Amino acid sequence: MFDKHADSLFILMRTIYTMSKKGRVMKKMFNKIKHSMWGGIWFLKPPDDVSLDGYRIDHVIHYTDTVITIFFGIVVLALLYFIIRYRDRPNHKAVYDRGDKKKYIVITVILGFLVFLSIDAVIETMSFKDLKEAFWNFPKDEDVVRVEVMPQQYAWNIRYAGADGKFATDDDIVSPQNQMHIPVNTPVVVQMAPYDVIHSFYIPNFRIKQDATPGMITTFWFQAVKEGEYEIACAELCGNGHYRMRGILTVESKEKFQGWLNELALEAQDTGEWDDWLSDDSGSDVGIPQGWGWPWNKEM
Amino acid sequence: MAEHKQSFITKYIFSTDHKMIGRQFLWFGLFWLFWGGLQAMLIRWQLAFSGQAVPIVGKLLWPASDGIITPDIYNQIFTMHGTIMIFWAITPLLTGAFGNFCIPLQIGAPDMAFPKLNMLSFWTFFLSGVVLFISHFLPDGPASAGWTSYPPLSTPVGGIPGQGQTLWVLSLTLMGTAVLMGAINYVTTVIRYRAPGMGYFKMPLTVWGMWLSAMLNALFVPIIAAGLVFLLLENVFGTQFFVAGNKATIEGGDPLLYQHVFWIFGHPEVYILILPVWGIVSDLLSTFSRKPAFGYKVTATCMCIITGLSGIVWGHHMYTTGMSPLLGKAFMFLTLLISIPSSIFFLNWLGTMWRGALRFTVPMLFTMSVVFVFGLGGLTGLYLATVTSDIYLHDSMFVVGHFHYTLAASVLMASFAAIYYWFPKMFGRKLNSLLGKIHFWLTFVSLNVVFFNMMALGYAGQHRRLFDPYVFDFIKPLQPMNFKITMWAFLLGVAQVLLVINIIWTLLKGKKASKNPWEAGTLEWTLDYPIPHGNFKETPTVYTGPHEYSNPLLKDRDWISQSEPLEGAS
Repeated sequence: MFDKHADSLFILMRTIYTMSKKGRVMKKMFNKIKHSMWGGIWFLKPPDDVSLDGYRIDHVIHYTDTVITIFFGIVVLALLYFIIRYRDRPNHKAVYDRGDKKKYIVITVILGFLVFLSIDAVIETMSFKDLKEAFWNFPKDEDVVRVEVMPQQYAWNIRYAGADGKFATDDDIVSPQNQMHIPVNTPVVVQMAPYDVIHSFYIPNFRIKQDATPGMITTFWFQAVKEGEYEIACAELCGNGHYRMRGILTVESKEKFQGWLNELALEAQDTGEWDDWLSDDSGSDVGIPQGWGWPWNKEM
Repeated sequence: MAEHKQSFITKYIFSTDHKMIGRQFLWFGLFWLFWGGLQAMLIRWQLAFSGQAVPIVGKLLWPASDGIITPDIYNQIFTMHGTIMIFWAITPLLTGAFGNFCIPLQIGAPDMAFPKLNMLSFWTFFLSGVVLFISHFLPDGPASAGWTSYPPLSTPVGGIPGQGQTLWVLSLTLMGTAVLMGAINYVTTVIRYRAPGMGYFKMPLTVWGMWLSAMLNALFVPIIAAGLVFLLLENVFGTQFFVAGNKATIEGGDPLLYQHVFWIFGHPEVYILILPVWGIVSDLLSTFSRKPAFGYKVTATCMCIITGLSGIVWGHHMYTTGMSPLLGKAFMFLTLLISIPSSIFFLNWLGTMWRGALRFTVPMLFTMSVVFVFGLGGLTGLYLATVTSDIYLHDSMFVVGHFHYTLAASVLMASFAAIYYWFPKMFGRKLNSLLGKIHFWLTFVSLNVVFFNMMALGYAGQHRRLFDPYVFDFIKPLQPMNFKITMWAFLLGVAQVLLVINIIWTLLKGKKASKNPWEAGTLEWTLDYPIPHGNFKETPTVYTGPHEYSNPLLKDRDWISQSEPLEGAS
């Protein structure tokens, strides 16, 4: 009836319990919970957020952190309490209770809905609000930088509209592979279509991720608030070179950005050829496909 | 059914006896678990010791690269690890082995409804395993487009050489056929072969889980089968159902079509794997708390609701694909709805333990650990069900940690619980308890360190499926954490040797088990080992529910078999 190794577990639990009485474990746990209220339960930190709207995603994550820590904490405490209080031992009997009284059913259903209302409903509301206000709310004003991105195995091709403001024309500016420049504090709208397979445009510092699916042009936007160099990674498995599909996003002042664009345009006039960039050490296996680019789609 | 003579082949190989087929599935699943586990170790090796030759097996496996894992080998390993663990390890272990073994015994049936179909199911499954195994030794290696095998990467357009993908599709199609045969069998058996008195709400929850899971299989496996046939045509005959854009030579293909088809099946697949777990955990918690399962009918109803919901939430795997935003919102809402029935039956688990008399046997330890890891796995799903946080966490190590908590941790721990629990009925001997407890603690601790830290890595930005993550500056600081995970993963792998030793030692020299070593009430424990072909000498009549533990009407013991009338009950 009474398993001979049953006590081993109990002894362990009792040790933890006595230690917590002395305050050591308790204090540590308390600090952890306190920390989670504003910092997240994860002891590793995500890369710095340098985007206008990335904080919204961090907020959803932190809220979820806090509430699930509380709920899971309750579950763990209940488990520990049950393990100690209700362990099988001589002169202890289980209470026969099928838990099918109306009272219990009502309580569990209410608690189920409580979990839904306190977590799901809240993060859903936050998420919908953020999508409406930011992620799917494309900038309407004129001061917008438009970029076309064509990922390929295993590099990023970046294209700007040039002087006429229209894509797929002769004066388009194609940047060196894997190099994307954007001005700070200006909305950037990107349209993306891959050359070969599915890729995913991922900048951890901006909390952005958007798949590029063949046959589709996907549109997304973001805005930098801090100058610097950030990494672009491919987040969707795209072949053997998936891991080294790395681009650099340079965020700089408006003047510097304009200067960089002008320089590229001049160089292009000198040579008259875009495929100069083929020779660089870009990691691309096929070189830059000729004549890519598409007329800008109307934004969503 | 009377005793009858069987030859070695009809008894042990082409057996139509559900108990033998269950045991065959058990060995088959354990073999693949071992194989997939080795691949997991290789993945971890690469992430900690990139560029160093794999010791012992390296030179044997890849003489060309001198035992060093190259990017294409790495992609092959994680593709096969995922494929094998999901379809060839945990599917045969839970649904195959314990579904086959438990369903007829627990509902009081002589066998499955279609014994020959059952045999055919196992041997088709076996054949699919052979095809998959062979694909490892192709000159260009096995498939390497990930376990999801998204086209166009998985089609000739993707630029992956060799026939690995074709064999992957073939083996998966065979596997689907086998699963479908099993599913039809399970559903029919539960509906038609219950013993007199065994109403639906008198079935053990294990049977409920297996039954619902089989229904999902029967409904959704044909969908992936269609997708796989298309993928086969792409690879063999050059069709382009899933190719679009510059590389397409034929108009009208769509890569997203495959993703929809894959996840329409793929999300229910998660529940196909987890439903038996919920059933087993509910039953075992009740047995070892010596108390009826708390809110039995509510738990069963919640499982049914989730089964229904699981079919309409697949889009949450596709938030970042550029799918219509409106669909994203709808899928998010539907997905979050699942948390209501989930929390309700989770509370019922706690309710079962509440005021019980908990016996910390090895199966109980594993069962309680499922409550812990599934709680964590379920809650971390919230981050991924939400469109905005998923934008950041999608395709990151967070996702990897999350689904390992739900699939690897929950399903594996429940499989171990099931192995320790039913071993006496399957093989007549009880597994060693002390060895089992050491196995439990090593597995439980290392598994949590590994998978929790994987989630932390994802939160810190590391994305999945990277041969060498340290190409990126933002991942470089995460190298120590990756190293730590690798060490704990090795411990997790080594700990499984204890299970192997325990099984072999018990089969050879273990203590003979009594008829009902756990003092459980379900019907399989009324039978003496070895259970004859045909199971019950007389069809049992069922009087009581599956968990009438500690009923005050019981006098000298705290349990009663379902086939015994409870005296004094109204």
